[in-house]
Amino acid sequence: MPVTFHIPGALREFTAGRRTVELAMSPATLADALSALYALYPGVRDRVVTEQGQVREHINLFVGDENIRYTGGLATPLPPNSEISIVPAVSGG
Amino acid sequence: MIGQVVGHYRVTEKIGEGGMGVVYRAFDEVLHRDVALKVVKKDAGLDPAASQNLLNEARASSSLAHPNICTIYEVAETDGELYIVMELVEGKTLRALRGDVGVPPESVLRYGTQIAAALCRAHDRGIIHRDLKSANVVVTSSGLVKVLDFGLAKRAGSTILEGPTTTFASTQDVSTISGTLHYMAPEILRGEPADSRSDLWALGIVLYEAACGKLPFSGRTGFEISSGIMRELPATLGPPVPPSLWAVIQRCLAKEPAERYQRASEVQAALEAIQWGATISANPAPDSGAMQTTVVHGVKHARIKRGDFVLLVGTTKGAFILRSNAQRTRWEVGGPYFHGNVVYAMAYDNRAGRRRIWASTCNYWGTLLRFSDDFGKSWTNPQESPIRFPADAGVSLKNIWQITPGRADEPNVLYCGVEPAALFESRDAGETWSLVRGLFDHPHRPRWLPGNGGLALHTVVLDPSNHQRMYVAISSGGVYRTTDGGLTWTAQNRGIRAMFLPNKNPEFGQCVHKIAMHPSHPERLFLQNHWGLYRSDDYGENWKDIANGVPSDFGFAMIIHPRIPEHVYIIPVESDQFRCSCDGRLRVYRTRNGGGSWEPLMRGLPQKLAYETVLRDCLVADSFDPVGIYFGTRSGQLFGSRDEGRTWGKVLDGLPSITCVRTAYVDGSSGEAGPTLTRPVSTNSSPDKSPSSRSRSQSKKSRSSAKPPTKRR
Repeated sequence: MPVTFHIPGALREFTAGRRTVELAMSPATLADALSALYALYPGVRDRVVTEQGQVREHINLFVGDENIRYTGGLATPLPPNSEISIVPAVSGG
Repeated sequence: MIGQVVGHYRVTEKIGEGGMGVVYRAFDEVLHRDVALKVVKKDAGLDPAASQNLLNEARASSSLAHPNICTIYEVAETDGELYIVMELVEGKTLRALRGDVGVPPESVLRYGTQIAAALCRAHDRGIIHRDLKSANVVVTSSGLVKVLDFGLAKRAGSTILEGPTTTFASTQDVSTISGTLHYMAPEILRGEPADSRSDLWALGIVLYEAACGKLPFSGRTGFEISSGIMRELPATLGPPVPPSLWAVIQRCLAKEPAERYQRASEVQAALEAIQWGATISANPAPDSGAMQTTVVHGVKHARIKRGDFVLLVGTTKGAFILRSNAQRTRWEVGGPYFHGNVVYAMAYDNRAGRRRIWASTCNYWGTLLRFSDDFGKSWTNPQESPIRFPADAGVSLKNIWQITPGRADEPNVLYCGVEPAALFESRDAGETWSLVRGLFDHPHRPRWLPGNGGLALHTVVLDPSNHQRMYVAISSGGVYRTTDGGLTWTAQNRGIRAMFLPNKNPEFGQCVHKIAMHPSHPERLFLQNHWGLYRSDDYGENWKDIANGVPSDFGFAMIIHPRIPEHVYIIPVESDQFRCSCDGRLRVYRTRNGGGSWEPLMRGLPQKLAYETVLRDCLVADSFDPVGIYFGTRSGQLFGSRDEGRTWGKVLDGLPSITCVRTAYVDGSSGEAGPTLTRPVSTNSSPDKSPSSRSRSQSKKSRSSAKPPTKRR
């Protein structure tokens, strides 16, 4: 039933220090789950998506082990008990 | 009507009346149950075609089987009158429940979630409600919400009800749309068709009034109401409304549909999460909207006090704050702040008694503008980025290249030059920012091209003598000037070459790297171009080449002496292909006659195998007498001169690649200059580079090998 977000260290400042945020609900899509997360922890939103609502270039979202870039983006459907990871890309110099 | 039989429904009592018709309780003589029967008024404004459409749509809506939607059993026509038979819902409307004070936030969340769920089902079936309002929401005694009147709904994407939509949108007669205008989204008032996001606007209105008992946009006339909807922001809802609920309402009430939630399910999820968070979480969500501050731990802070002189150094890996005093011989280093962030821009704002350091930070998680009022011990870390492009701009913020405090006599004004090239302005000391549309909507903008570093507006020059006049420099767009305070802008590039374009002298499109103005000569501008050194003596109308005796007229940085307007400093690099100091000799060049001739300043600077690059915001002056000049290199070295450039020493090395250097003099609370030395003056695009000079104390600890020469000229 619940959806679990894994929060990276850089964003825990905005989730009251939580490493994981468990939502006792069953959002149908990733967008809905994120909307719920943002409602609880508003600071997360602008870090994950741009002001135009697109996932930031160097941020990856995974539902389970699947990168959502290949599963329908924010419209990716969420199976029950989904685990969602927010991960910065491995890049940079 | 009472006692009459319509179809197989016997009308028993009148239970309500709305804009579209009268609602009766009736008894279904076939299925033996009570129903609600709505008879659509003949004068409801529907022509025969629209009636037919309503019929069709209501039939479609009847397919919406959902616990939060009042079920439509039948839609029919008798004696030319339309009637809609629906589930009889016993309860109170949300309009009645909310009274004048609203319902508790927990109830707002509970009701709101159910209304959102109803909309979600309808929208998924392509049906838009179009008339959601608190009077159309009934709450039963068990707390179950039923949304009524999907009979007016429009099937998304079809045009069959465009007729009535237009009628509603264009009418100025409030009476025909009474009770509905308050809920109409701005786009409907503009005459655009409603879509599912218009329902989310109405949901925002319903949530707002449920929370506080008042409509967010009210007025005595339709005009006043419409005007509020189109232009005003609703009054803020404070406690007991939790900030998280207020944030959801605000997002529903964004004027632009693109800035709202895009789907009802998102609103539903947000409201559910707040409900869950409020009941289960031991740590409630932090206040949205509040300016979050991050206290920096585990970093060495420079102990800055009054009388200190400070260098702000932005690098590709964070920011550093270097403290010294008027002697500028020993430096205590604070930082790095913002580990791993590129700090493209910094500024010091000492107006109105502030001691505020601004910094822009950029990493995976986006670009943020932040400030510190305690010299780096804590920094704002806003939950929501204060600088953001509106939805219709279609672009998102990449970098903040320049932070420019406004003129001394407008202490709450600030500007930011950003990438993609645009100017943002704040009139409340940086609390809120808005895009300067006059420049963003300039017809030239689509034809500006990104330079090597991106398409950026990197320089903002304010005319201190004329509040209406300012200049910006864009790579690659050229110089633009406004003489009406930012409403309109003109390209001012006559005489500036664009070596990389087929037409070498275009109206715009030049890759200008820096412009500088001395405040005492606002008519005179100096310009370092991507190939070319220029001067204008007529507010940028015409430019003439002043590259007289420089090893290369390619470069980035350029500043003017704070007191002597004819003294200009640049650091040439070899070419656009090889952006390093010419012949491996690190030299600053200075003109003392406004560009008539240039002389190298190199004593103390490496003259062998020094292939250095100094970026456009990495050269600054202080305003001591004699003036100190500082510059930082991409190799992370920071050089300084205390004698106007005659002799140089290394302030610090081993830093990450330096992206900007700014100076700050920590004076008293007034921001005024000290008694012994001259007033602070602008040296470049931003006044923050030239604090006044006055000093008292001596640094106790040196964190660097800083040994600029002690000899004065």
